[in-house]
Amino acid sequence: MKRLLTFFSLNRSLWLLLFYIFLSLLLMNFSDGRSLRGVRLVLLQTIEWIDEIKEAITVHQNMEKELLALKKENFDLRLTNIKLREVLIENARLRKLLELKTSSPYHLVAARVIGKGTEEGIRTLILNVGEDDSVRINMAVVNADGLVGRIISTTTSESIVQILMDHNSLVSARLQQSREVGVVGWSGNSWLDLQYISKNIPVKRGELVITSGLSQIYPPGLKIGVVADIIENEYDWFKEIRVKPAVNFNAVEEVFVIRALREEKRDE
Amino acid sequence: MNRYIIRYFFVFLGALLLQSTVITPLFQIYYWKPNLILIVLVIFSLHHGQMAGSTAGFLVGLSSDIISSSLLGLGALCKSITGYIAGSFGSELVRERYQFIVALFVAGGVHDIIMLFFNSLGRDMSWKVMIFVYMIPNLFYTAIVGTIIYYFVGRWFHHHE
Repeated sequence: MKRLLTFFSLNRSLWLLLFYIFLSLLLMNFSDGRSLRGVRLVLLQTIEWIDEIKEAITVHQNMEKELLALKKENFDLRLTNIKLREVLIENARLRKLLELKTSSPYHLVAARVIGKGTEEGIRTLILNVGEDDSVRINMAVVNADGLVGRIISTTTSESIVQILMDHNSLVSARLQQSREVGVVGWSGNSWLDLQYISKNIPVKRGELVITSGLSQIYPPGLKIGVVADIIENEYDWFKEIRVKPAVNFNAVEEVFVIRALREEKRDE
Repeated sequence: MNRYIIRYFFVFLGALLLQSTVITPLFQIYYWKPNLILIVLVIFSLHHGQMAGSTAGFLVGLSSDIISSSLLGLGALCKSITGYIAGSFGSELVRERYQFIVALFVAGGVHDIIMLFFNSLGRDMSWKVMIFVYMIPNLFYTAIVGTIIYYFVGRWFHHHE
C-alpha cells in the first residue's frame, strides 16, 4: 500500500494526465449532450459579438478612407466646376467679340490684355499685339461694350493702351439724339465728364454718348457710355454731364485695335 | 497564486477568442494558419511544468470544443497531452534557446496526429497528404509566429511563475 502511494505521489502529473484523457474520452462519448448547447450558444454569441465589433471597426476605418477620398474628389470637382464656369464666361465674351468683329466696318486686330500699366499718373493696359501685327500709335481700341482707349506706345510684339479713365485722355464725343458735340474726359471718379454742352441743349438721362468722328484718332459712332446725371449751375454756361462708361475697365480681357476702315465701307 | 490563475485564465481566453475571430481571417494562407492556443499552451507549460500544462491544456481544449462545433472532448484530450509533453521540456536540463521550438514541434506534432487520427475515423483520408500538406507546414507556420510571440512575451510567463 505504501509502495502504491509512493508510486502515485511520484507520478502525480502522469496520473493527472491519464485522468484528463479518461475524462476527455468520456466527454467524447457523450458529445451531443443537450445541456452543452446553451453554453455553446452563449460562447458563440460572444464570438459573434466580438466579430461584429471588429466588423464595425473595419467599416468605420473604410468609411473614414472613403470620406477622405470623397472630400478630395469633391475638391477636384469644385476646381473643375470653377474652370468650366471660367470657360463658359470666356466663351460668351469671345462670342460677343466675334459678333463685333464680323459686324464692324473696320479692320480689327484682336488682342488680349496681358497687364496693366505701372506708370505713375497714366492708366493703361498692355496688349499682346504690337507693330508686327500692324498696330500703330493712336489707333483706337474697343471691345464689345464700347470704346476702351487708344494706343500710346508700341513695341514689335506689345502695345500700351491709354484708357478713357485717364487724366490725359480726351475724346471728342457726340450726344446721339441731340447730335451736340462735346469733349469726354475722366472726372477722377467712377464716371466720365462730358464737357462743353450748352445749357440750352436738351439732354436726357440714358442718352447714348458716342465718338464724334471729328478727331483723327477715334472713328465716329463708337459707344463711350450713357448719360447718368445732368447738373446745371446758375453761373456756368455749360451743363455738367456725367457719363457712365460703357466699358468696365477693371474687367477688360480681350479687345480689338481698329486698324482701318474696310474697303467696301470706304466705297460706300 | 489566485491572481496568477485569473491572469492566465484571461490569457487563454484571449487566445481562444483571437483564434476564432482574428487569426483565421487575417493570417490564414491557403490551408495553413498559426495555432495561437497551441503557442500559448506550450509557453505556459514550459514555465509551469507537466501538471499545470496538462490541466491548462484540458481546460483550454474543452473550451475550444465548446466554442467550435467539433467533437466535445477531442480538443481537451489533444491539448492535455500537448500541455503534458510541453511541460516535460521545461525542466532545468533543457532550458535552452531552442527549447521552445523543440517543445512546440514535438507537442504540436503529437497534438495534430491525435487530432488527425480522430478526425479520420470513418473517413477516407490520405495520411500522407494530411501530414505533408496540412500538418507539417502548419507546424512551421505556428513555430514562426510562436517564436515571435515567445520573444516578446515569453519572459512575462517566466516572471509569473
